[in-house]
Formats: sequence, structure tokens, C-alpha cells
Amino acid sequence: MGFVLLAVPALAVLLFSLVKSRPMQYTVSVTASALMLIAAAWITRQVLLFGTVTYPAAGGFIYIDALSALVVDIVAVIGLMTSIYSIGYLEEEYRHGKVDAGRFRLYYILMYTFIFTMMLALTVRNIGIMWIAIEATTLASTFLVGFHNGKDAVEAAWKYIIICSVGIAIALLGIIFLQLSSIDVLKSSQYLDWTALYSHASVLNSSALRLAFIFILIGFGTKAGLAPMHTWLPDAHSQAPSPISALLSGVLLNCAMYGIIRTVAIVNRSFGNSTFTGRILIGAGVLSILAATLFILTQKDYKRLLAYSSIEHMGIIAIAFGIFTPLSIFGGLLHMVNHSFTKSMLFLSSGNVLQKYQTKEISHIRGMLKVLPVTGTVFLLGLFAIAGTPPFSVFASEFVIITSIFEKHNFFVGMLVILLLAIIFTGIALTMFKMFYGKNTAPAVEPGELNIPGVVAVAALLVIITVTGLFIPNEMKTLLNMAEKIIIGG
Amino acid sequence: MSSYLDILSVLLLLSSFVLMANKRIKSHIRTFRFQSAMIALAAGILGVNSLIHEGRVDLLVVCAVIIAIKVIYIPRLLHRVYANVEYKVEKDFFLNIPILILGCCMIVVFTYFALSKTDGINTGTENMRVVNSVSLILIGLFFMISRKKAIGQIVGFLVIENGIFVTAMFATQGMPFIVDMGMFVDLLSAVMILGIMVFKINEKFDSIDINKLKNLRG
Amino acid sequence: MMHAVYALIQIIVIILAAPLVNGIIRKVKALTQKRKGAPLLQMYFDLFKLLKKSVVVSDVASWIFRAAPYIAIASAVAASLFVPVTAWPESQGYAGDMILFVSVLALGRFFMMLAALDTASTFGGMGSSREAMISALIEPSLLVTLFTVGLIAKSTSIFQIMHFTAGVGIPLLHPVYILGFAALCMIIIAETSRIPVDDPSTHLELTMVHEAMILEYSGRDLALMELSASIRQLVFITLLVNIYVPHDQMIALYGLSGFAAIAVSLLVYLIEVILVSILIAVIEVHTVKLRLFSIPNLAALAFIVSFLGFIQYFVLGR
Repeated sequence: MGFVLLAVPALAVLLFSLVKSRPMQYTVSVTASALMLIAAAWITRQVLLFGTVTYPAAGGFIYIDALSALVVDIVAVIGLMTSIYSIGYLEEEYRHGKVDAGRFRLYYILMYTFIFTMMLALTVRNIGIMWIAIEATTLASTFLVGFHNGKDAVEAAWKYIIICSVGIAIALLGIIFLQLSSIDVLKSSQYLDWTALYSHASVLNSSALRLAFIFILIGFGTKAGLAPMHTWLPDAHSQAPSPISALLSGVLLNCAMYGIIRTVAIVNRSFGNSTFTGRILIGAGVLSILAATLFILTQKDYKRLLAYSSIEHMGIIAIAFGIFTPLSIFGGLLHMVNHSFTKSMLFLSSGNVLQKYQTKEISHIRGMLKVLPVTGTVFLLGLFAIAGTPPFSVFASEFVIITSIFEKHNFFVGMLVILLLAIIFTGIALTMFKMFYGKNTAPAVEPGELNIPGVVAVAALLVIITVTGLFIPNEMKTLLNMAEKIIIGG
Repeated sequence: MSSYLDILSVLLLLSSFVLMANKRIKSHIRTFRFQSAMIALAAGILGVNSLIHEGRVDLLVVCAVIIAIKVIYIPRLLHRVYANVEYKVEKDFFLNIPILILGCCMIVVFTYFALSKTDGINTGTENMRVVNSVSLILIGLFFMISRKKAIGQIVGFLVIENGIFVTAMFATQGMPFIVDMGMFVDLLSAVMILGIMVFKINEKFDSIDINKLKNLRG
Repeated sequence: MMHAVYALIQIIVIILAAPLVNGIIRKVKALTQKRKGAPLLQMYFDLFKLLKKSVVVSDVASWIFRAAPYIAIASAVAASLFVPVTAWPESQGYAGDMILFVSVLALGRFFMMLAALDTASTFGGMGSSREAMISALIEPSLLVTLFTVGLIAKSTSIFQIMHFTAGVGIPLLHPVYILGFAALCMIIIAETSRIPVDDPSTHLELTMVHEAMILEYSGRDLALMELSASIRQLVFITLLVNIYVPHDQMIALYGLSGFAAIAVSLLVYLIEVILVSILIAVIEVHTVKLRLFSIPNLAALAFIVSFLGFIQYFVLGR
């Protein structure tokens, strides 16, 4: 079944280059993502039953444990929602004449290549191949970011590819040091094998491991949007088409964070404690939240604001993994899930708003609740959710993380995080809430939802985040616990 | 054999300084080609050595791939991209060239001090080779941020990748074969995409001056 | 007594061979431009012609103007004593500090610059200021390069460096030496006023440096200035050859001694000089003269390359 995960997007890409008519393309897309969701569910079940999924007959190339399964599930669910949403979104764009048939095909081919590379990164055992896949995600998504071909989009795409490629190259340097640290310990066929590195962690060369961690954090942190390497994120996430923004923000950042988590697991196991990585991660996390706070307060573009909010949440996840207690890791993993669902819901609904009002500026949008009833409600509730309001899921995971910070007696960090989160809530409230009320002043906007499949998708996501905020299903809890045990080391 | 590798690593460092000191885009591409040729030579020497002692051909295949991609194809691609934009010589800089070269020297000193504490690679010639390779990476990064034109950034990125490959080769006798191949495929696609992006930038902004990309601020 | 014989041979060979180097460079440049060019011995003929002509001195010039040619050639010849052209037995006992070497050359250059200022002509002043800038930027590189090889050989005498390098094997296969070689090549180009630093065959105000300084000279003085310039050139080439391709080695290879040794090493030296001059000519043909304000770029590169050689020596831990 693991191969299904990889084969389906690859086949989809092939099909897209052959299929010409729009309805066929929509069908292929939704079928492919539905198949991926089924495969992911099956694999999760296998992992819950047996612990890991690996196929020794294929040379142990694929290796899926609880941590991989968790992130694979996120990718599959958001992939399905995004492809449902894309149907309505692209129909609307086509009706306005902004995309033609060739661009359609390009969009779908690139999107499924993107999903393929992300799945590849999550399911391989060899860290080198994971690196290749993450670099490939940058390459696959560059033209998606620059899809609209305007001046801003081209600038965003250039920044994206340059900064992320340099970052990934630095991560490769870190991986080289990782290999260097294991050079006397492992046989050459086992180089960069995550399970081998993890089990021999205590005898790895510690100074090379230190260098490896720093470079990998800088490198994959660039891709994950940690400050101070986050400068590409607001541009790329705001200029990309909205379904792609949802994929970038909800899924890609998680993949990059996954790379960091794998490395942190090895390093902490090797040193026996988490002080070295912890300090650096907490520092990077606090810096990210700080940077996000400063910029959220002065935003004029709602998609950019959402992008800065992604930076903030990645910072929170980094802090969670810096604290490195069982509770904080549980909270960090839960936060990854919750943030992905909430943020993709927000980006998808912002896509609806953009299509209706044709502007990205907050000040030009008024009376959203009347013009777009369902989207407006979802967007409003989503903003509450992302700022950490109960009963939504982000509140639950943030609560767990902050509890764990105070449990470890890091009072200063805890107070700082609470303060910054409060400021962010205020900032979002002040800037965004005026979009929903008031009379609609732009004349050419008539009430009514444009993108019906999209509305269905975002409503489904809203339901998910509300439900998981109140009650975590047992399977999910077990999966999270298993993943946390893998990271901490049993 | 070890002395040939030493000389090659020193020549690589020298070429990175020459890259920094140059103002013409054609010389940048030519210096990059020379650098890649040196790397291919080093890979070839190590490959022949491993063939004789261990019977493995992967380093030789890697050497052939480097020659095909970095020495032949990518410079030709860059020449084609650069032929369509008007800038042939960088006229102004943020800092002038002697200061940039001095900065590169500081980078080498800094790398030496940073790596001298790492055991496993801080003995004698191994140390020098790794210091040279890591300095190559950092000088590539420095080059990237000191240039105002898009082509400079592409060349800087290529030098960074060169440096990383050489570090892998000298410090750890090469990455696993499939990782190397994946790296090259990635690099090739990255350069092709960057080339297309330069065309698009030239189209939209009528120049390839990176400073003009300032619309998205805050 | 041996010292005196050595000094005599040294001076005679250098003075006789210096104009030949110029001739070779000029000939190679002409051949690559598909011209026949002047004959190889042209510079000798030029010097003889100039020696016979009378000297014209400006009214406002002081004694410096008249003394400078003699000081220049004296310093050039004195500097030439530091860099042996043959393998001399017991030459290890000769002193010959590299710092003194550089200072003696600097003395000659200093007086040339003063003399150019002396005639109060604008060309002279311009040439002096340009020469001052270039030499101020190049001297540190020269010193650092020499210091690095001196550190490796544990001595500041060029004789001892030569003996040390002769025992090391092929120096050019050693990373520190390669950087020093590159730096020294750039330094030679700057010190001998070759393209890309200065064009030796132009009299355009825009491009001349060395020519501007000797513009006011005529007759015997001009002959002495030109000769001193070419002797300096040969001295630098000999320095390069001594440090990087020491011809002492050849003697050890053939196991000769006595006069046969001296003769063979002299022959090898002459061949190496011819090769280096061809190399200089090839570099001249393939590059263009740099803008004056781009010369600091080249100088910075030369300095950093030599400094890198110094750092590599430390990194290697030797």
C-alpha cells in the first residue's frame, strides 16, 4: 500500500499530460486524492497495528512509522480538500478568462508532482533521499507560486526559489556532517539510514553532530519558515493561487518540520539530553513568533497576514520540540495537525473572498458576511480558531504546549509566548474583523457564493477542527502517542 | 595522489577568489566551468583510486555526470540565458571589490577556526581540504548576496552546490550513489527553472537588477 | 675570493641577459599578431644607439634628476646579487635577506619617482603618483609571499630557500607553493609594468605609468633607465625561478660538480627564463589593460592569494 501512496500521484501526473477536457481533469484529480486518502488511512491502520510499515523486499526503501503516518495523513486529507476546492476555483478563473487550457494542465501537473515529492519525502528511510524530495518540492512549486505571472507573482517566485534552494543546500551540508559523524560507526550501505543512525545514536561523533544539527536547522528551517530565514514565506504564500497557498502553508511547512524533527530525535538521543537543541529551537521559535507579531500588526493584505500567522505557528511548534518533554512533543505534533487544517481552511476561504472581491487589500473589503454567507462565517470562525480561541483545535494544542513550557519551569519563555499570542490575537481582530461587517461599498460585487465545491470543502474542514478541538478520537491519540515515543526514544 | 587532491582543493579556493574579483558575467561563467572541471578531476582521481582498491565504479560515473552537466551543459544554458539580457558587466556594487575579497579571506579564517574544534577532520591535509571546501560554500553564499544582478545569484548558487559536493567528497569519501544522482538531477532542474525565471523577470521588469524587485515589502 | 667571482658572474650574466628578455617578449607578441616584429637583439641596438647620444636636461631639474639613472641601475644590479643565476657551491653561506632585497628595489623606484617629479612636467607627476599607488598596493603581497616561503624554509635568505626547495621535490605540487606562485605571477606583472597593469609600449596619457616617469630622459640617462627597468624585470623572473623551479635540483640529478655544475645550471636557468618570458608574453597578449581604478582589484587579489598561502601553511599545521 505504501507504493500506492507514491504511484497514484505519479500516475496522475502522467494522466494529466494526456487528458484534455476540463471535467476529465477534475475527475482525475479528485479520484487521485481520494485514492491517496484511502491508502493513507490503510497505512495508518497498519501502523497502529504493527508499529511500522516497511517492505523489505524492496530493499527497505520505504519506511513508514507513526510520525510519518501522521504527516502523511495530513497531506492526504488536505490534498483531497484542496482538489475538491480547485474544481470550483479553476472553473471561476476559467470563466473570467484568466487561465486557459494549457495553464490548467500545467497547474494540475505541477500540483500532483508537488504532492508526489512531499509523499516521497515522508515515506523514505534514507535521509539523503528525503533531502532530494524536499528540494524537489521547491522546484515543483516555483511555477505554482508564480502562476499568475504578474510582477508580484514573479518576484515572489524568484525569492522563493532562491532562498529555499540556498537553504536546502545548507541543509545538505548538515546532512554531510551527519554522515561524517557516523563514518566509523556504520557500514557504508547504512549511511544516512534513519533507523540505523537512531539506534547507534549514542556512539556518533558529537562535534560533527552539533554542526550537522545547526546546518540542518538553518536549512530545513528556511523551508519551514522559521525566523530569520522566513522572508520568502509571506510573498510566496500570498502570491500563489489560494489552493496552492493552502498546500504550501498546511502541508509543505509540516514536511520541512518533519525533517527537523527526525534530526532532533537523533541528536537528542546521542547527547542524552536536549539542552543543546532545545536552546536553539526555543530561540528560533520565539524569534519567529516575535517577527510574526510585529508584521501582523501592520498588515494590509489578508493573505500576507495569514502567511505571517503560519510563521507564528511554526515558531510555536519549534518551541514545543525545543522543550522536548513527552507532553510538549504530544502538543507539538497535535499542533502540526490542527494548524494544517485550520490554515488550509483559512486559505481556501480567502480564495473565495479573492475571487468575489478581486482585491487582496483588507480595507477594500466590507460586509463579507452578507455577500458570502458561508465563506464569511467560515473565515470569521477560522480567524478565531487560528488565534487560539476555544472550542477550536488550535486552542487545545497551544494549551498543551504552554502547559509543558511552564512544567519545565521556563517561565520567561512561557510568559513571552502568552504575551505575543495575545498581541497577535489583538492584531488579527483589529485588522480583519472589519472585513465582515458594514455595508459593502464596492459596487460590482453581488451576494452569492461562487465556488460551491470549495464551500463544501471549507465547511468540512471547519467541522473537523471544531470536533477535534472538543474530542480527540482514540486512534489519533494512539498515533500521536506512538509518534511521540519514537521521537523521545521509548 | 593525496597531493593532487590538495592542489585541486587549493585551485578551487583560488578560483572562487577569482570569481569574486571579476566584474564580467562571461568570466563568472568561465570561472564556474573551470571550477567544475577541477571538481570532475578530483572525482576522477578518487574514482580511479576506488576502482583500483575496491572495484567500485560509482565515483567514476559521478565524474562523467559532472563533466556532462556542470562543465558542458550548464555553462551553455547560462550563456544562452545571459545572451538575451543586456547586462554584460556589473557596474556598481554595494561594497567595492577589494573589500569583498578581504571579506572572503575573513571567511576562510573563520572557517578554519570553526572547523578546528571538530574532531575527525582536523588533522593535517584532511583539515585543509575540508576548510577549503567549506570556505567555497561560504564564499559562494557571500558572492550571491553581494551581486545585484540575477545571473550573479544563479552563479553563486551553483558555486554553493559545487562546494557542498566537494565537501562531501573530501570529508566522507562521497555520498551514497543514489543521493549523488538525485543531487545532480535536482541541480539541473533548479538551474533550468532559474533560467526561465530570469527570462520572466526580464520580461516583467525590463531588467535583471534584483534591487528592482521591491514591490512586496512588509 | 669566491664571493667576488660569484658577484662578477652574476652581474655579467644579468646585465647581458636582461635586454634579451624584452626582445623575447616583444617577438612573441609580434608573432601572435602575425607580424614579423623587431629582431630579438633589438634592445641591445637601441641601448648602444642611446649611449652615443647627448643628454638634454631641463633647467628646473635638480641633482636628483641627474643622479636617478645611476641610482636606479645601481639598485637593480645590487638587487640582482640576491638572486643567484647559477648553482654556486657553498652559496649557503651567503647572506641575502629578502627584506633587504625588497628595500633595495624600493630605493631605486623611489628615486625614479622623485626624478619624475623633479622636472615639473605634468606627465612626470602623473606617472609618479600612479606608480606610487600601484607599488604601495603590490609591495605587501610580495613581502607576504616571500615570508611564507621563508617560513617553510625557516630562513629569510633566498639562497637557503633555494636549497630547501631543491630538497623538497617538485614545489609546484604543494598547495602553499601554488598560491605563492599565482601571487608572484600577479606581482611580477605589476612590478615589471606589463599589461594588464601598465602598457610598456604606449605614450598615451591615459594609459602610461612607467613610461610617464622616464619620459623626460634622453641619451645616456635614458639608456640607463631602460636597462635598469629590464634588469629589475629579470631579477623578478629569477626570483620566481629560484623559488619555484630551483635549478640546483638539476645538479643533484646529474651528480655534477665544479665548473660543469655551474655551466649546466646556468644553461638550465637561461632556458627557464626564456620559458617564463614566453609565459609573460602570452599573458600580455590575452588580456587587456585594466582601468587605473581597477588595479586595486588585482592588487587585492594578489595580496589575498599570498595571504591565503600563508593561512594554508598554518592550516596544514606545518
